[in-house]
Amino acid sequence: MAVVVDIAKVLSPFDDAAGILVSPVGVAAGFPSPAQDYFDGRIDLNAHLIRDITSTFIVRVAGDSMRDAGISDGDEVIVDRSIEPRDGVVVVAVVDGELTLKRLSVLRDRVVLRAENPRYPDIVVASLSELTIWGVVTRCLHRV
Amino acid sequence: MSDQRTALLDVNNFFASCERVFDPKLEGRPVVVLSNNDGCVVARSAEAKALGVTMGAPWFSLAPMAEKFGIVARSSNYELYGDLSSRVMEIAGRFTSHLEVYSIDEAFLHLSGTPAQNSALAAELRATIRRHTGLPVCVGIAQSKTLAKLANHGAKKSPYMNGVCNLDDFTPERVNAVMESMPVTELWGVAGRTRKRLTNLGVLTIRDLRDSDPEFIRKRFSVVLQRTVHELRGIDCISIDSMREIKGQIIYSRSFSTPVTTRAEMEQVLAVYAARVSKRLRKQGYVAGALTCYAATSRFANAENHAPFVAVRFDDSTDDPIQIAAACSQALLGRVVDGNKYVRAGIMLHEISRAKPSEFLEIFTPVSELRQVGRALDTVTDRFGASSIGLGVAGLKSARRWEMKRELLSPRATTHWDELATVFAR
Ligand SMILES: [Mg+2]
Repeated sequence: MAVVVDIAKVLSPFDDAAGILVSPVGVAAGFPSPAQDYFDGRIDLNAHLIRDITSTFIVRVAGDSMRDAGISDGDEVIVDRSIEPRDGVVVVAVVDGELTLKRLSVLRDRVVLRAENPRYPDIVVASLSELTIWGVVTRCLHRV
Repeated sequence: MSDQRTALLDVNNFFASCERVFDPKLEGRPVVVLSNNDGCVVARSAEAKALGVTMGAPWFSLAPMAEKFGIVARSSNYELYGDLSSRVMEIAGRFTSHLEVYSIDEAFLHLSGTPAQNSALAAELRATIRRHTGLPVCVGIAQSKTLAKLANHGAKKSPYMNGVCNLDDFTPERVNAVMESMPVTELWGVAGRTRKRLTNLGVLTIRDLRDSDPEFIRKRFSVVLQRTVHELRGIDCISIDSMREIKGQIIYSRSFSTPVTTRAEMEQVLAVYAARVSKRLRKQGYVAGALTCYAATSRFANAENHAPFVAVRFDDSTDDPIQIAAACSQALLGRVVDGNKYVRAGIMLHEISRAKPSEFLEIFTPVSELRQVGRALDTVTDRFGASSIGLGVAGLKSARRWEMKRELLSPRATTHWDELATVFAR
């Protein structure tokens, strides 16, 4: 009988936001566990890309202001609303009533929403509480 | 006295709030949601309510007001509402050992902590739903479902409560005062003739009803109203199904005698329930524009599967049992997990309107929807009993799709890949 461990429960939001991958079957050592031989269906992208189904949304990107972060016009990004926004993550922020993609930069005296393209200006506010952060981007789906 | 408490979770202005999730511009603006078939108001944001927009008002009649106050109208986006609803219910299931989904945006949770623990849990539930889905909810906690509903009402009306109202925090005097301030019509199902007869007997407020003799109420009114008296006294005695019937929803919901454990069985159940619920519809000469459909297990070992709940909007209002069964199967079966023990299922119909002859549409109408199938079924079941004839689950055709009134429909951003919400990088 295979034991199914809910990865979502052992992974903290920070692990995921930092892009740390936790292998669900662990590192190979010695004899493979019988559980690994149990064919449990093909790789399920939902299981690997979505930490919590209740807080995860997929949205489509319009514009090229996040170009240098590897996010292009027309890409889809996975957004997890349950992750605490912190310095360095890419967020969906509400700016002038629109969902807007930015890099969040939390500094000692101010908070900056940065574009990742020199052609676009930064947005500077005094503190995080002045911003409405809609969610934190965890993945970008880019067609190659 | 038992320490069990019931919490009623209710999303504030559910449809309007859903419209805001991907469209933050709508925050703080009056929003109305229209039925797809006739363009009448089926939901309002708090701002629209404050402007005096009434339920059922046709959109065209609101045009002058809409212009003046900037009211935004949306067609009902059942795909979006259904998906957000299932997220809310799944989160709620993580907070209780027992969840009863009552409607698309309401659920009862069993709580067994101290009053302070229950309030803290409800606050955490509320914050989690807000963070995960963007939806605002209120929670009422009390000794019975009816009282939980009253408490929820309090949480909605009194902003200082921060969305959680626990009747255990109230002194008896304060409960009396609250009940005195509320007319009996605030209770589910007390309206029309019942209200008039209660008025004649001097029963005007909820407190009056609570303090009435339950035996007298049963003799003069009904067992159901007697139970409401008990519920107001803190005795939990109304089942969720009778609660729905009280509210006048068109619904068919039953517990199974033995658990259903496979999708194939569930498909049969849905076909039977579709026939029954559509019969209720036809009896009253109505058609439905949308439905919600759910199944539930009794013990919730696995939060994800305890209560799959889906919503479907019809392109055209229908009373056709085959279309209703097909819609339920297509939407729900994918969320039903083989091996789980489901103990109940139900189908609820929404956007109910009068069936009208629509000859000019008939050429577009699926063959089964010409209402003969439904009528033939009714004739047979009336003569030979409800199980004498059923709908075959094989050979169902998927409903033909043609779109109407799409211009006011927001993107089906969580269920359709080509309608994902846009985030701007500019
Ligand atoms: Mg509600």
